[in-house]
Amino acid sequence: MKETLLLTKHMREFPEDSHQIEIYEKNNGYSALKKVLKEDNPENVINEIKDSNIRGRGGAGFPTGVKWGFLAENEDRYLVINGDESEPGTFKDRILLERDPHQLIEGVIITCFASNIKKAFIYIRGEYAKPARRVQDAVEQAYEKGYLGNNILGTNFSLDVVVHLGAGAYICGEETALLNSLEGKRGEPRLKPPYFPAVMGLYNKPTLVNNVETISSVPWIIQNSGKEYSKLGVEGSTGTRIFSLSGHVNNPGNFEIEMGQSFGEFIDTFGKGIKNNKNVKAYIPGGASAPWFTGDQLDIKMTIDDVANAGSMLGSGAVVVMDEDTNLVYAAKSIVSFFAHESCGQCTPCREGTTWLEMILERIASGRGRLSDISLLIDICDNISPGLDWPPKMTTICPLGPSAVSPITSLLNNFSEEITNMLPTKIPITQ
Amino acid sequence: MSWEKALIDKAKEIIDMYPQKRSALGPLLYLAQEKDGYISNDSIVEISNLIGITEVQVKSVASFYSMYKEEQTGKYLLSVCKSISCEINDSRSVIDSVKNFTGLENYETDTEKVFTFEEVECIGACGGAPAVQVNYETVEGLTPEKSLQMCEWLKEERPEIIVAEELQEKFGGVKSFDWAIKDNTGSSYSVPGFQNIGTAKEKS
Amino acid sequence: MTDQIKINVNGSEISSKPDQLIIEACEDSGIHIPRFCWHKRMDPVGMCRMCLVEVETPRGKALVPSCTTKVSEDLVVDTESDVVKKAQEGVLEFLLINHPLDCPVCDKAGECPLQDQTMAYGPGESRFVEDKRHFEKPIPISEIILLDRERCILCARCTRFSDEISGDPLIEFIQRGNKTQVNTFPDEPFRSYFSGNTVQICPVGALTSSSYRFKARPWDLKKVSSTSNCSSVGDSVELNVSQNKMLRILGEDNEFTNQGWLSDKGRYNFEYLHSDKRIETPILVKNSNKELTINETMELISNQILTSENPNISFIVGHNSTNEEYYALNKFAENLNKVENENKVSTTNFYLSDDYLYNGFFNDDYSLGEIKDLDSADTIILWAQDIKDNLPTLYLRIKQAVRNGKKLLIFGHTNTAIKELSEEYYGENIVTNNFEFNVDLSDIPNLSKYIDGKDVLAIVGKASPLQNVNPIFQLVKHLDQNSNLKILNCFSKGNTLGALQNLDIVKGLNEFVTEFDSSKKNIVFTVGSNPVNNSIYSHKIKEALIDSDFVVSLDLFKNETTELSDIILPTTTFGEKEGTFTNLEMRTLMQNKILPTPGSALNEWEYWLILSNKMNLLESYGTEAELNSMLCKDYIDNGNIPSFDNLNKPSNLDGILNSKTINIEVKNVDSTNLEILFVHRLYGDSSSQINSPSISMLGSERFIEMNSATYFGSYMLNSDVVTLIQENNSIQVNVNINENLPDNLLVIPINRRGFQDLNPEKKVELEVAKSREQLSVT
Ligand SMILES: Cc1cc2nc3c(=O)[nH]c(=O)nc-3n(C[C@H](O)[C@H](O)[C@H](O)COP(=O)(O)O)c2cc1C
Ligand code: SF4
Ligand code: FES
Repeated sequence: MKETLLLTKHMREFPEDSHQIEIYEKNNGYSALKKVLKEDNPENVINEIKDSNIRGRGGAGFPTGVKWGFLAENEDRYLVINGDESEPGTFKDRILLERDPHQLIEGVIITCFASNIKKAFIYIRGEYAKPARRVQDAVEQAYEKGYLGNNILGTNFSLDVVVHLGAGAYICGEETALLNSLEGKRGEPRLKPPYFPAVMGLYNKPTLVNNVETISSVPWIIQNSGKEYSKLGVEGSTGTRIFSLSGHVNNPGNFEIEMGQSFGEFIDTFGKGIKNNKNVKAYIPGGASAPWFTGDQLDIKMTIDDVANAGSMLGSGAVVVMDEDTNLVYAAKSIVSFFAHESCGQCTPCREGTTWLEMILERIASGRGRLSDISLLIDICDNISPGLDWPPKMTTICPLGPSAVSPITSLLNNFSEEITNMLPTKIPITQ
Repeated sequence: MSWEKALIDKAKEIIDMYPQKRSALGPLLYLAQEKDGYISNDSIVEISNLIGITEVQVKSVASFYSMYKEEQTGKYLLSVCKSISCEINDSRSVIDSVKNFTGLENYETDTEKVFTFEEVECIGACGGAPAVQVNYETVEGLTPEKSLQMCEWLKEERPEIIVAEELQEKFGGVKSFDWAIKDNTGSSYSVPGFQNIGTAKEKS
Repeated sequence: MTDQIKINVNGSEISSKPDQLIIEACEDSGIHIPRFCWHKRMDPVGMCRMCLVEVETPRGKALVPSCTTKVSEDLVVDTESDVVKKAQEGVLEFLLINHPLDCPVCDKAGECPLQDQTMAYGPGESRFVEDKRHFEKPIPISEIILLDRERCILCARCTRFSDEISGDPLIEFIQRGNKTQVNTFPDEPFRSYFSGNTVQICPVGALTSSSYRFKARPWDLKKVSSTSNCSSVGDSVELNVSQNKMLRILGEDNEFTNQGWLSDKGRYNFEYLHSDKRIETPILVKNSNKELTINETMELISNQILTSENPNISFIVGHNSTNEEYYALNKFAENLNKVENENKVSTTNFYLSDDYLYNGFFNDDYSLGEIKDLDSADTIILWAQDIKDNLPTLYLRIKQAVRNGKKLLIFGHTNTAIKELSEEYYGENIVTNNFEFNVDLSDIPNLSKYIDGKDVLAIVGKASPLQNVNPIFQLVKHLDQNSNLKILNCFSKGNTLGALQNLDIVKGLNEFVTEFDSSKKNIVFTVGSNPVNNSIYSHKIKEALIDSDFVVSLDLFKNETTELSDIILPTTTFGEKEGTFTNLEMRTLMQNKILPTPGSALNEWEYWLILSNKMNLLESYGTEAELNSMLCKDYIDNGNIPSFDNLNKPSNLDGILNSKTINIEVKNVDSTNLEILFVHRLYGDSSSQINSPSISMLGSERFIEMNSATYFGSYMLNSDVVTLIQENNSIQVNVNINENLPDNLLVIPINRRGFQDLNPEKKVELEVAKSREQLSVT
């Protein structure tokens, strides 16, 4: 098993200055853009993206070409790049922003050209100060070289890009919350319907929202054609993906591979095994929102559909490995308190439910649990995510609330003894 | 303290970048925070006039985001991550060690206004867990000892500008990925160092 | 769109309007879905999640909020399934874990949806053993509103109201997640003209009004629908009374008028009813305030009339009488002209105590509009007094119309408070400080774009008492030639239209002053009016009353006018009398009685009746109802019968539109070089407000308004205190900076205490404190 370098190739080859425009240009950078401008056929660009079958890398995995096709007609349309990357376990957009900002910017320009967009925003989480600086520098370089601004490279096409900093709110990764945030409002998700970004997005105008990694893939697809891209990976999960590997592995990091290989192989090859030669007790396949898999489920394939069929999601591509000594109650508590802290507070079940779950886990962890707490936890989860099915049903406005349910059901379904062991009187769980 | 002309000019420049004034609210709050180390009521009044919304609307937005502080921060904002990857890599002991050294509880600032300590959610440094940010400059692969040394160094040296590379070199360990590129820009207060809002500073 | 579509709810078919929300469609068919955040007059936010229902989708049943999901043909909805019940119980439990159990001391208890639904669906006992969220118990967020954040369930009704409906977002969510709370900015209290509405729509007891706190329990209240006389919109209200005391006024949702909203003045201006300063017996002022019986007083008055030589009898009427009372007064005056003795009454005249009176557009040349035309017109044209101050609930309707995409064009510089709503604001470049057009009407930029061939509703009225009205007529004529024009005449106060409709010829205070001839024998009745205050003519009226031979005041309180009277007659008001009210669109609405008459006070018409009898002038009525049917008979010609019978039904909010033409005889005042603009502000120093403790302080601050940039070259600050000097009279006032005002214009709210001695025709000097420059204007 080895990496397939599309997005991380340039930065690997020029580690010291992959962020400089001259180096990027020297290595074929901005040639996809030039090609597109020369051909002057926006329709074709969208078709290439459709052909590539690339699905969004922000978590929901929606086919990007289809999304672009939905964008409603309007004089003003916007592109917003989602660089809010805050899903615990995820740091793949960070490397793309920090080390290859021009790749993203080129993707942005091509995307805007394809959809006749004249203003784009790159929204980067506030804590990513350094990545944001790199992107800002790169945007300025691109303006200087005529890739941005009026009449790009002498054509009729003009585009302005603004780099905007978030300010510490995970929920702003949710696309409609992000738009509110960009409008200078509280980062609260909007109601869908009617606020589908492609129809009523930023300032109520049609807006494309795409993840950093998604758009960073665009130059390669245009250079090499959508068809070439679709040959990578497997059907339904084409192309490469940057997986962020962390937790109890010897060699954490970002690794770009074609989808379709197994988690076990991935962890062994790139993570170089588990620290201190321990075993995997459980792992999270796609960021903190995703239900966990156990150490017995390491042969699940890393594709969007395989993971979904197994009852979780590939999500943001963050693999967090927990070894046999991990206290899973603490792990679950950490994740639940993350969501409680990050709930926007609009809807009752998420605002009250996540905090209540956190309080109960806190109490159990500190030895003050009660026998009835297990069924209470389950019932609260059920009131946030009725039926506790996968994919989750929700009583909430957005999926954040149900995300807090994932670690609890994971814990109770596969590791119930860990929690009962913490209760004053141990009882087996019958569900 | 109301805003000086230079700051207001900067604010107007930022407002002009956006199709609608209100979009500049976030960046303007950063200006306010860089000025005072928190979002003061005076700044709220100033911003509400610049953008044309009410004071409580500014307050409402400011208080939604965790990076806008309601109380004055110290010169160094120490944000220790406690989310899942850090949690299982023993961020607890890094937290304890920072707390011990500074004597601060979550969200507290010492009387000399040197440190503000906070436990934060995931800062995107999971590969380099446990990780810490100082004025939003990331240090990865910390240990309790190294974090203690870092606090001592900050207290002794009082560097004007915090640069991630420098901290990482002195106190860091395993990283999320190869940072490769050398950088000497950073931030001088509890705001992200970012060119567009003029909070990025260069260390020579 | 009258087509109906069919949807299936709980197994039965119901019909619904297309585009309706599920919750509304169900409501219309009598199926109640529990809710907290949804309010039919505001955008849905889907926050509380109480209204979840199941709908069939291609991918199976899905839980959706019924307040944000629209119906579609053949939609299948289940509002009672186990999943729905479970979800709703879940939401309720979530809301209750942080809600205090203080129902016994909560004002909302008994009419609290949270309490009701807990009874209906709620869990028996709490599974929540943790600590509840704690906040400081009620904190005052303005002079009249208190906030208890612990009780708040974060439904966003108050925040949405202040943002969407009233447009002064002074209350907002602070913090996020579980820490979210509603609050105001520390230095900026919830000082909105409409804040009381948030108390009414708050589904729990989080927002309360200081006037009602701990006063009553809902089950002790006696309630009646009525019409507010706070402004000429004729807001529908519900009066709540306990033990013969008015405790609360609520807005009623009347599609035609206020849609449920009230201004704070309309809501809280009632405590005066029970003030111990009310006059309860007739008083002989000139005899050291001796109290008299009704009979003695009537004797005195009729003798005065009968023994005076060719007296001029003037009636200065206010705007708080019912149509029936104006009608009775009119009859009385008619009869006075028939007095058979050698000292015949030479004239009787009606003057309305209203500085904004002008001839208006009550003739067949123009078609009169209705308030609800705001929803259908393409363009709204506004030339009127500051609408937010004078017709607050009409302002809300205009604001809503603008939100719905109607274009608002504003003329003149008085409507600064709503400038931001306008598509075009034709300020000093188009209309001078003197209210003259600067340009030819056909050259007004963009005007034709918005009016040519369009449905236009023009809201017109005098912008200031001293305004020359010719430009209004010019404008209306121009609009009429180019568009489908309808007109709303803006006479803002109470039952002004009722007075105009029912009194033969009405003149203004200016006419009273100019016609007053002190060489004649003058008998003056002031009827529910206080012209010696609140008017730009106050100082002259004062002189005239001093020069009059006999002054009778019918009033509730002693005031500047009654000081100069010979006799004060105690009367009744809003809530104490029954009658009809005509609003600014000429809609007749019902006012109902729910309080007893205080002391020996009588209704105005009773005085007219007794006086007639005393003078052997026969009248043919004996009750309000008889008056009403006489009045109706007079209206029959127009086919509109505003009778008690067809108005006095609880559900009949729409009233009856009346088109009787009316006679106003007001001469155009011509003020040259107007640089002081006299206006009325919502809060002032009326006797009713001064005697309503909860709101009395709101009108007490005395200020003038101007912009900061230039006042004859001097830079003004909000903190400035200036002195207005006129002859031997000087007044210290605060300055309120209003940047929307043109340069060199001084705005004086004439209904605030202390301005009544200003003579608008004489020079005023303005001295800026802190020894800044001395300024002088005319
Ligand atoms: C709670 C929540 C958090 C999210 N966070 C992120 C994020 O940090 N970054 C991101 O790209 N997408 C995030 N998403 C997904 C976005 O809503 C959206 O689907 C994505 O930005 C679309 O881009 P893509 O199609 O390129 O994936 C989040 C979604 C939810 C519900
Ligand atoms: S689920 Fe949570 S985060 Fe999403 S809208 Fe509701 S309160 Fe906000
Ligand atoms: S009433 Fe529908 S969510 Fe509150």
